[in-house]
Amino acid sequence: MDLAVETVGLTKRYSQLTAVKGLNLEVRRNSVHGFLGPNGAGKTTTIKILVGLLRADEGVVRVLGREVRWDAPETRLKVGYMPELPRFPRHLKGRELLDIYGRMYGMSEQQRREEIPRLLEVVGLKGREGDLIGKYSKGMQQRLGIAQALLGDPELVILDEPSLGLDPVSMVEVRNLMKGMAKEGRTVFLSSHLLFEVEQVCSHVTVIHRGVALASDTLQNIRGMLMGGGVVEVELAEPCEAAAESLRSLPFVSRVEQSGRILTVELKTRDDVRAHISRAITGSGGVIVAMGWKGRTLEDVFLQLVSKPVEGGA
Amino acid sequence: MAGGGWAPRFWAVVRYELLWNIRKKKLIGVLVLALLLATLALVLPVVLSNVTGLELARNPNYVVDTGIGVGGLGMFLFAVAVAMNSISGEFEGGTAVTLLTKPVSRTTIFLGKLTAALITLGSAYALLLAYMAVGGTIVYGPQENLHLLPLSLLGATLSTLMWMSIVLAVGSISKSSLLAALGSFGVFMALAVGSPIISMASDQAWILSYLPGGGATGYLAGAGGGTPYTLGAAVSTGTDGIAANLVRYALNPSLNVTFFKVANRMQVVELYSEPLSAVLARSILVASAYSAVLLAAAWYTFRRAEVLD
Ligand SMILES: Nc1ncnc2c1ncn2[C@@H]1O[C@H](COP(=O)(O)OP(=O)(O)O)[C@@H](O)[C@H]1O
Ligand SMILES: [Mg+2]
Repeated sequence: MDLAVETVGLTKRYSQLTAVKGLNLEVRRNSVHGFLGPNGAGKTTTIKILVGLLRADEGVVRVLGREVRWDAPETRLKVGYMPELPRFPRHLKGRELLDIYGRMYGMSEQQRREEIPRLLEVVGLKGREGDLIGKYSKGMQQRLGIAQALLGDPELVILDEPSLGLDPVSMVEVRNLMKGMAKEGRTVFLSSHLLFEVEQVCSHVTVIHRGVALASDTLQNIRGMLMGGGVVEVELAEPCEAAAESLRSLPFVSRVEQSGRILTVELKTRDDVRAHISRAITGSGGVIVAMGWKGRTLEDVFLQLVSKPVEGGA
Repeated sequence: MAGGGWAPRFWAVVRYELLWNIRKKKLIGVLVLALLLATLALVLPVVLSNVTGLELARNPNYVVDTGIGVGGLGMFLFAVAVAMNSISGEFEGGTAVTLLTKPVSRTTIFLGKLTAALITLGSAYALLLAYMAVGGTIVYGPQENLHLLPLSLLGATLSTLMWMSIVLAVGSISKSSLLAALGSFGVFMALAVGSPIISMASDQAWILSYLPGGGATGYLAGAGGGTPYTLGAAVSTGTDGIAANLVRYALNPSLNVTFFKVANRMQVVELYSEPLSAVLARSILVASAYSAVLLAAAWYTFRRAEVLD
């Protein structure tokens, strides 16, 4: 498997506190991988080790196939990173900062002239690039943070809480930006304490709590893992006991609850079996008015994971 | 390394730092202060001569003798203004987080910052020298030996580099700009206060030539007997005197420096003499040695520093 990020037994201590405990992390290339956990879970600590701001106490870290020890500029060449609440030199203008960072990525003048205005446009800073960063709002600095993380055509983009401190409209924009990065073939690794954010953009998720990975899988499997299956709600034209009975005989149905004209069908599977349900009801004389898929949210999963840890994860 | 090699990355850091430096209020403040003091030094004699009615003597060597004219404290203040935030400021302001994750090695970042500091310093001193050259010509008449001003610039920059190395080392180790400024000011003051005490209280003033600062004081033109006041110009043997001694040496390579001490009942006793060339070479070596050791310490701690928040 081609991995963009891999850690084995990663451990980091701050004097007394062990912030990350034997973390095994695998981020596949070309995935949008969410790193989900509540505040203080160890997300930022892990990310800072990946980008070379902190030293691991134990374990192995590989980024884009290279082992990261300390100060590895060659690896960082293909990695974009947006820190949690990024801060930039107040005395530089937005455009100047991107230009200088661009030079650090070895971009030619031509590349910088084309790329920087495009990035400013993408993150919505166009028109403000000539202002000193000291005059930028927090949200604008956040946008500049995203722009600088995309400089130099990175293969891997690491975003630490990208929507922290953003208003709802900007949050949607940032989410779309991340989807765009994935479409461009980049690997996106983002940390978040927001379940719905991860749910909306990620293909894979690692759940971390108190420095330990609780689970790591595709978004779908993370959902399916502890939930069994989905739930389908069917509204009938009139109550029909025969319809409920026929559903109970289906192999993938675990439970059927009838309350008036509403049938709540709990499934053993995550597969979409609404066609089978529809056929069974119609075959037993029921008339369907409406049918809806009621999946449980990642939030439910997360709460369950936290209450019963799956050791080792990954 | 892919994408342009080392040099463009190094110059990007220099650029980053220069743009930051020229917009620093501290640096502009020190420069304005230095220009004000230079103006005062130029204008005061004119005012005095008008008041006393004594005509101001022409002095064709005024500018090369005075150099940048800000003295040890002036150079120290420039060192602080240029370097106090250079490393520690990145950690305090949270900007280290992005800078240190760019594809540039920490060593390159350190060298770039140092280079930018030297360029900033050299430019400020060049401006001061140009100002003195113009002002000196107006006040003291046509000036000679102006071709020696680059030596003055070089010497003052090396002297200041030594102070800057202290600031950078304290800043890099403590990650605090305030400590960098205050700590090195403490060192500066301790030396400034301690040096005269050492030189007056003992025969061991030569020790001062191996410490940062003004060093011991000797006099040109050999031992003529009588009091030092009748002798030639005073010579500082320390790291602060490099510029002045470079110019003196270039004008007259065969000068000697004589050292005295004031004994009981104000009797002046000659201690020893040595060639100006020896004084100069030693002060350059001492300044370079301190700079090298302190910069190595700053670099080593910066290279290993974790970025905690
Ligand atoms: N510089 C530090 N010194 C001491 N403890 C720290 C430091 N940074 C983080 N921590 C602690 O480490 C744990 C993990 O923090 P962090 O990695 O920032 O979590 P997250 O990003 O998931 O919110 C927390 O308990 C936090 O208080
Ligand atoms: Mg965090």
